[in-house]
Amino acid sequence: MALFLYLHFPSLQLDNLQLSAENSQNLAIAVVDQQHQLLQLNQSAINAGLKLQMGLASAAALCPDLQLLPYQSEQQLKVLNSAAQQLYQLSGDIALDPPAGLILRLDGMLQLYSGLAPYWQALSAKLHELAYRYQYSCGATPYAAKCLAYQQAALITNDAKRLSAALHASPLTATELTAPLQQQMARLGIHTLGQLLALPPAELARRFDSQLLSYLGRLRGDYYHALEYVQPESGFSRYLELLYDISDSAVLARPLVKLLQQLEQQLSRASCQCHQLLLTLFFRDNPKLQLCIGSAQGEYKAAAWLQLCQLQLQNLTLPEPVYGLQLDVNRFAGQQRPTEGLFAQQQASMSALQLLSLLQARLGRAAVSGLTLQNQHLPEQASQRSLPLVKGYVVKGQAGLAALALRPAFLLPKPQPLTEAVTISQGPERLCPDGWQLGAQRDYYIGRNRQGQWLWLFRTASQQWFVHGWFS
Amino acid sequence: MSALLEQLARRQLLWHGDSQQLAYQAVSSGFPELDQQLGGGLPASGLIDIQTAAGIGELRLLLPYLRQQQQQSQRLLVFIAPPAELSADMLAGAGLDLSQLLIITPGQPISPPKPAGRHTKAAKKLNAKQEALWAAEQCLQSGCCATVLIWPAAISLAQARRLQLAAEQGAASMILFRKPSQTLSLPVNLSISLQPDPQGLQLTVLKRKGCWPAAPIRLNMQSRWPALCLADAPAEPMRQAS
Repeated sequence: MALFLYLHFPSLQLDNLQLSAENSQNLAIAVVDQQHQLLQLNQSAINAGLKLQMGLASAAALCPDLQLLPYQSEQQLKVLNSAAQQLYQLSGDIALDPPAGLILRLDGMLQLYSGLAPYWQALSAKLHELAYRYQYSCGATPYAAKCLAYQQAALITNDAKRLSAALHASPLTATELTAPLQQQMARLGIHTLGQLLALPPAELARRFDSQLLSYLGRLRGDYYHALEYVQPESGFSRYLELLYDISDSAVLARPLVKLLQQLEQQLSRASCQCHQLLLTLFFRDNPKLQLCIGSAQGEYKAAAWLQLCQLQLQNLTLPEPVYGLQLDVNRFAGQQRPTEGLFAQQQASMSALQLLSLLQARLGRAAVSGLTLQNQHLPEQASQRSLPLVKGYVVKGQAGLAALALRPAFLLPKPQPLTEAVTISQGPERLCPDGWQLGAQRDYYIGRNRQGQWLWLFRTASQQWFVHGWFS
Repeated sequence: MSALLEQLARRQLLWHGDSQQLAYQAVSSGFPELDQQLGGGLPASGLIDIQTAAGIGELRLLLPYLRQQQQQSQRLLVFIAPPAELSADMLAGAGLDLSQLLIITPGQPISPPKPAGRHTKAAKKLNAKQEALWAAEQCLQSGCCATVLIWPAAISLAQARRLQLAAEQGAASMILFRKPSQTLSLPVNLSISLQPDPQGLQLTVLKRKGCWPAAPIRLNMQSRWPALCLADAPAEPMRQAS
């Protein structure tokens, strides 16, 4: 027998919002739809006596300082999807049932968990961790489970008799039937699902439309109910709406931790790491701001990413308060552990690449560079700043470039005119720019001034003297 | 009386004049006469303070030491805020591995630069100095850098102490190049002052941790850098700047 579990999250959007703001518990918050009916309530709103489907006027009368949020179906779907992704590690077949439900197919999983009780134990622990309010029930078909879950039946059983008894006793309000149809049934004296199921289908088909028959067929399990199961996603994308606008970039770290922890969970589950985060900050008036935070080594730990994010946020001045954060990771990479010498005395606390990411996050990418030797005769072209920690490309069979030994340690970016007396000790060495432009040739000399400094000088074709660097 | 002495000695407040134990592990400097004076060479970790003018041979003195530091542990060399562009020819010619070398120039604009007034310029300079010290501390602590070379404008006692602790933690050495006029004594492992000399360098040890300072010595670089030493008879300037 197939067995399904239905999870219904009655206030998903609101619960998700409250996770990000710790001190919002005392605030009565409600989510309202277009028709100004309350759809989702938090605990303090329920304590104030508010009920679902209540109009705004009576809600405001009961609770004057009620905070209202518009219902966002896209947002709710995202949260539902992320919940499904997080449950995926425990249960294989999960189908979304928008706007607020998940259908879990159990018969495959029972074999793995050797029974319903251990399965439910693992799943409920995970659900507790997610901290969304939920209602649940088992059922022989998806619709049966859903119907029971809406009544908060909380049945976790494999017993077909118990399940069918509970189903037969269900009121029609818990079913998928439309309101006019329910009214019609009530006029006929049919109040429970059991009464409806007892009627012969042929009779029902004559009186009612095919929608009812198709629903009843699926409820019984006579008709095939196609479910589209979720697949684990390859990237990471979460959006977090802040309860309060944040204007200080240092404070942004607190909601960001939540996102990073979710990322860490997903990465460690897949035994992956990532090299780059895209952090998007949303403003009310200004265009959104996208930050790219990179780690050359690759990290999965939330603490390591947080440090890198904080270093970059420190340098940032926000044009106006932020109301939302989005964290995206496009590519995951496999985890790699660096190999370390067994007998090394000093264990480095971080690798060179980690150090590099740290420096780049605070100082900017342009501030950290490496140095490569180019096959050029002009001194300003022979040394080139390059990407840090990149091995120079060496052609096979050839030794690396031979360095010219008698070159100064420091080169001035722009040669300065010579203004003091010097003693020439060596030279000249004539260097011509590419194309042998004889007018631009320079004769280089090594000279020592009265302070004992060794300078690298050159004389241009027009007999002007310049200092190009100094031997240190 | 002896009990008091013993107590002081145990708290390392009392030093015996005859026991000259190096407080640090020494790495040969590549100059035998200097190694002899310094009891083995330059410190492998901790701060080394070099008071020198620019361009008299201060980096040439350190090249053999830097090569050894880099090769022994396969760790990084970091140059922070060098006074001008470093030349790859010179460093590669001295046997340093350029792929294990980082250059950090703080004070680069991170976002597109805005028109800056005088006030912001001064703030930027201060910021660049702080960033240089921050970068030095991170490099020293990380344990993946062998030696950090820094050209600070000025450094305070507290900052030097902090860097010394970071260097001990990461088993790295740090070389401070300072102008000779700055006479503030810093908590460093070795402090030397360099003067130009026709044949190389004149070196005075100002402070050595756990030891007596040695006598001033002349280092002859004639064999290593013949082109950068004067002939025996000091010549007159051949050309006056016009």
